[in-house]
Amino acid sequence: METANLWVQIASFKRLIWLLVLTTAAALIVNPYFGYKVPFGMLWLRLFVVALVMMVTFIATEAIWRSVPNPRLSLLTAQLVSVPIAAFLGTVASGLVLGRSLTQMFTVEPMLLGILVFTTVAIGIGAITAMLLVYRERAARADVESARAASRETVLQKQVLEARLKLMQAQIEPHFLFNTLANVQHLVGKDPALANQVLGSLIRYLRSAMPQMRDDTTTLAREVELARAYLEIQRVRMGERLRFAISIDATIADTIIPPMMLMTLVENAIKHGIDPVKAGGEITIDAARDGEHLLLRVIDSGHGIVPTATPGVGLQNVRERLSALFGASASLELRERAEQGVEARLKIPLGQLPTLTGEGG
Amino acid sequence: MIPTALIADDEPLLRAQLREQLATLWPSLDIVSEAADGADAIAQFEELLPDIVFLDIHMPVMSGLDVARMIGRGRKLPSGDFKRAQIVFVTAYDQYAVTAFERGAIDYVLKPFEADRLQETVTRLQERESVAASSDSDAEDALSIVIRQLTSAQRDYLNWIKASVGQTVRLIAVDEVLYFQSDEKYTRVVLTDAEVLIRKPIKELLEELDPKRFWQIHRATIVNTSAIAAVVRGQRDQADLRLKGRPETLTVSRNFTHLFKQM
Repeated sequence: METANLWVQIASFKRLIWLLVLTTAAALIVNPYFGYKVPFGMLWLRLFVVALVMMVTFIATEAIWRSVPNPRLSLLTAQLVSVPIAAFLGTVASGLVLGRSLTQMFTVEPMLLGILVFTTVAIGIGAITAMLLVYRERAARADVESARAASRETVLQKQVLEARLKLMQAQIEPHFLFNTLANVQHLVGKDPALANQVLGSLIRYLRSAMPQMRDDTTTLAREVELARAYLEIQRVRMGERLRFAISIDATIADTIIPPMMLMTLVENAIKHGIDPVKAGGEITIDAARDGEHLLLRVIDSGHGIVPTATPGVGLQNVRERLSALFGASASLELRERAEQGVEARLKIPLGQLPTLTGEGG
Repeated sequence: MIPTALIADDEPLLRAQLREQLATLWPSLDIVSEAADGADAIAQFEELLPDIVFLDIHMPVMSGLDVARMIGRGRKLPSGDFKRAQIVFVTAYDQYAVTAFERGAIDYVLKPFEADRLQETVTRLQERESVAASSDSDAEDALSIVIRQLTSAQRDYLNWIKASVGQTVRLIAVDEVLYFQSDEKYTRVVLTDAEVLIRKPIKELLEELDPKRFWQIHRATIVNTSAIAAVVRGQRDQADLRLKGRPETLTVSRNFTHLFKQM
């Protein structure tokens, strides 16, 4: 800390007022002891000198401490040592100012006693002041800390909101929708029963995939059913090119998970995995418990990822939502399979999402 | 002569549907074959030389646009003449392509098929079929221009990194990467919560990554621009980059500080 700054601190109006108040208080306390011999004004003046010396020492100690890179003692300890010493020296100094000699002060018994009383009262008041100051500083620090926590909370809330927005924006692929309708249009004449079945799947799919109808959370079982509806539609469209298998651990079927994440992975498996391959392939959805996590795997036997393929916004979207909702405890990883195709692994901590607030809310 | 046609679509039901609708609207049209993917479509065109090709844009192996580029020039007949087909694109939803088709007066139909719309296309095809072949070269020009617009959109940049981690090969989207840093023989690929090593050197990465998204900031470092949290002036003429989601800072060497001058 610079010297100029130090003087500014010492000379601050508030501190001077405090100094005057404390000096007056101390003078009133010691007055009964000296009252019959020393005029009050004189007492006050001596105490003022002592208080001034103590305050300068208090601030200077802090300044020195701040400038030392790694002080061995804490600032408070240092002040507890330096300020009483200052009180004593200040008392002696004030005596010198009044024209007494050192020998006089330490040999004449009443004077020595006077010095002791002075020092004790000064230290007492100094200690109370210091405690008040420390207490106030702690309170201020707690305020700052709670403000920081509040801002962290706001950031988190903002992230969750953004994630929700992203979820709303996650579009139903128009290409998929129109192609499916074209299929249904054809089937209505040819195979009404199958047309009906496809329409049923499409309705189930739309009901969950329409942004306006999405909940913030859903269950694993519901998401798997949505994926199944989607895959059934795709199977009608792609015929024998698409095969799929779904296996889900029944004990975790009711696990609450964020919506449309499994769907994104399945859509990607079709779009980038199976669709580009003439012979098609197989998609496997596997949901299992993995320690404290739910491990959701979507495996395709398809094309694999071409290094220059444009990554869809879907995956990015899933990643951002995962990090907003779970921080580092959830993850999405893609792996190239040894045989062929890609394995997407979505890991979500079990039992961390709030329970459903209501159907269709 | 009876006009012939080829239908190329990867969805069997939609091929059947188009075949049926055409049978109603244009009974004399002979649909000589169907193809289920782009490569198949080219092979069948070469073999059967149909007058009209209905091409689904979205097909495996090769898209309808790629097929059109291949067959658009036609095929030289033994007689020395060129045989060209009239191409009709078929798509369920492709706003970008549809706009381009409209502008270039290219034939297209939308799925699900609407009888009226399909009738218009049929009428146009029939009219053109009867017009002399001389106008064909114009048609080809319009077609090739539109296809070039739609296919040559941009260079293919590296978007995925394959990294061996133990027994598995992780696929990492480059958007996830915060920075690449060369480390002797390897390159460190640093993500928010992990890092992996790959063999591809920085120099090679630099050539393959999209220069708009990835900047070299040091002889040994490439940073994802969207991962930069702040630029701080460093020692001498260097600068330091603070990153989103990582505690470490990256050094921008003097040769690259100009990248941040305007920021």
